[in-house]
Amino acid sequence: MTRISLIALGAFAIMASAICLLVLLPQAMLGSVQAPPGLAPYTAVQLQGRAVYMREGCIYCHSQQVRDPSFTTDVDRGWGTRATVPADYVYDRPHLLGTMRSGPDLINVGQRLPDLDWHLIHLYNPRSLVQWSNMAAFPYLFEEKAIAQLSPTDRVINIPGRDAASTTAIVALPDAIALAEYLVSLKRQYPVPAASQASDQRVGGSHDAR
Amino acid sequence: MLPSSLIVIVATALFTLGAALMLIWGWRKGFLRDLDAQSRVIFDDRDWRLARPWESPAERAEREREFGVSLPADKGEWGGAL
Amino acid sequence: MGRRTVSAPDATQAFGATALEAGEVSAVATSRGLAPEDLDVRLRADASSRTVVLVLFSVAVLWLLVGSIFGDIASIKLHWPDFLVQQAWLTFGRVRTAHLHAVNYGWATAALIGTSLWLMPRLVHAELKGAGMALVGGVLFTIGITVGIVAVLMGYTDGMEWLEAPRYAAGPFLVLGGGLVGLSLFRTVAARKAPHLYVSVWYILGAFIWFPMLYITGKWPTWSGVESAAVNWFFAHNVLGFWLTAMSVGAAYYFIPKVLGRPVYSYQLSVVGFWSLAMFYSLNGMHHLVGGPLPTWMITTSIVASVFMFIPVVATGINLHMTVVGRFGALRYSPTLRFVVLGALAYTAVSVQGSFTALREVNRVTHFTHWTVAHSHVGGYAFVTFVCFGAMYYIVPRAVGHEWPSAKLIRWHFNTVLAGISIYVIALTAAGVAQGMALLDPATPFEQSVIRAMPGLYGRTLGGLILTVGHFVFAYHFWIMLRMPRGVPRRSRPPFHDAQPVLYTREAAAAHGAPAQEATS
Repeated sequence: MTRISLIALGAFAIMASAICLLVLLPQAMLGSVQAPPGLAPYTAVQLQGRAVYMREGCIYCHSQQVRDPSFTTDVDRGWGTRATVPADYVYDRPHLLGTMRSGPDLINVGQRLPDLDWHLIHLYNPRSLVQWSNMAAFPYLFEEKAIAQLSPTDRVINIPGRDAASTTAIVALPDAIALAEYLVSLKRQYPVPAASQASDQRVGGSHDAR
Repeated sequence: MLPSSLIVIVATALFTLGAALMLIWGWRKGFLRDLDAQSRVIFDDRDWRLARPWESPAERAEREREFGVSLPADKGEWGGAL
Repeated sequence: MGRRTVSAPDATQAFGATALEAGEVSAVATSRGLAPEDLDVRLRADASSRTVVLVLFSVAVLWLLVGSIFGDIASIKLHWPDFLVQQAWLTFGRVRTAHLHAVNYGWATAALIGTSLWLMPRLVHAELKGAGMALVGGVLFTIGITVGIVAVLMGYTDGMEWLEAPRYAAGPFLVLGGGLVGLSLFRTVAARKAPHLYVSVWYILGAFIWFPMLYITGKWPTWSGVESAAVNWFFAHNVLGFWLTAMSVGAAYYFIPKVLGRPVYSYQLSVVGFWSLAMFYSLNGMHHLVGGPLPTWMITTSIVASVFMFIPVVATGINLHMTVVGRFGALRYSPTLRFVVLGALAYTAVSVQGSFTALREVNRVTHFTHWTVAHSHVGGYAFVTFVCFGAMYYIVPRAVGHEWPSAKLIRWHFNTVLAGISIYVIALTAAGVAQGMALLDPATPFEQSVIRAMPGLYGRTLGGLILTVGHFVFAYHFWIMLRMPRGVPRRSRPPFHDAQPVLYTREAAAAHGAPAQEATS
């Protein structure tokens, strides 16, 4: 090896071909995926909540994907009724599929836990609702206000076990409400068109179960 | 689906072919010959002659036969201790 | 003699000078038909890269400390979740990201760029071209990393793992900084005087070609949906293989033969290893998404490529390990060799583990668990960081012109980081398996996956804290090194050569005929 050009061009060509195969080719194939009729675009407040989800790094403990029942037990665990497909994510920018489950999967959390207040309390202090939880608490998304100074628009949350005689109340800030709105919006239960499921979407399915 | 990505498939094939051709070209030009000398390009004369504290007497004698009398190593010659 | 002094003003204090000054240079030259240029070239090469290397190493060590502290905080938060929750910037999700960026892009990248800048002139027998350019590049890169980490802590993120640093705030600094360093390296190679490009050169040049391609692909702002997941893991996997691994393997290919004084076991294999690494590693990324909502052929491609990784790993492994075989005694004498050889072993281990983890049957247990985090630390720490430590133990004395003042601190450093990473990996791997088995059984409630992983999470914190102690020891030693007057060993400390390496006595040295050390400088 005495030529820079051999190394440089060879290295470039190999990486370029990998980019073609694993980035550009899928882009060409997946670019045409249409949103299923049952999937609504995110609303402004849900998008704000999604930004909070990214900002606080929820992805490092929560995934947003259900894998095929023939491969794992995600469906048995009640995290969804079917495996998620590319069409479920067309409005996700960027994706939040995640690679860690220190906490449960969230792609259908709106189905399991539809109560906004539950999420607000849980965000303020997870252990007030789930004793074994090791999730981070997010008290900074809330404000402690004197009850006398509450305004009608304030969203007060009732933390279980908090002193009832307290003269202050816990008020959810807009970011907390947006995050909770985003969480309860997460539902991927509608039927997906057969085409998008069958074409190349047999995830971990029988045909290549090694 | 496939036709829309035909260009990408062709590009992938071309790039792979390109990489293969580069290797063949390099081989024909002789870049892969004389590998033994290539592997010794990081050494200078001193490297061969430095006495290494972990050498056995036999190893040392062989090295000296090939490269000449041993030179003493500097402090910290081996990176860190000694 | 005079020529060398003129051409490399500081060279008289550098290693390798004393032996020939002892009046042997003419004997060498005549008996072997060699001119003293050999040494001259090397000393000038070292002198040309000194400043930029020391600056980058200093930056790297600072990031190592910062990254360790962030890592410890993140680790503690997983078992004491109410620890430091009042401040937004200290929440788990941000601190974890700051840790990842600080250690990968701050510490490892700066240390490896510094190592590459030091190696390249030596490898091509020329001076570093554009050393000032490289220095500016290194500073810009550091600014980019700092901007990225501060942004993440403040809550600005691009949202994809390994790519969180905002593209429009940190990106320009990283691209420009990395580009300037790369330009300096390419100019150096272009001015080469060596007859061949050694294998380390391929890896370093490859890294500087691959990283820009990966970074631009990963940061391209139009990806969405599952496609962004594919891009995400294409980048995040390859940045290890084509950036950190490439430069680390390049360094290992230099230091192991250089210290041992014997060429690599088989140079043919290094050719095979390099090109097959490029071929197969580049297709590995999708194995982070096994079972995910991506086209099956993508994931299958990556699984197959992951298994094919055995080819480059075995080729590189044979080369690096067989070079050492029969010379393991040298590890007692050379901290550089100790760190680099252990790093090379970890490279083989982590690669084999990675190939197996990609298999669906293994992956259904280990995916989404702490196993992956443990795995990444075998690669990022036991391999890459160990190689960085080894390289720095070799390079820093040659850059500042005097030896490390304390063998004891080196021993402390080595022992703590080895113990720390062992505890870390064992505890977290066990936690991952326990978590994965619990998750895979639908009859087991989810909480069991948290509870059963808990002992491992405490173990990880213990390991991490021990690592941090080791890092502070190393940073302290490095700091002393920089503060000592250039080229003059400090007399108030015991002379370094009086210190004994681990498991080694002076009597044994005498028995082996080790040459007496003369305090010439």
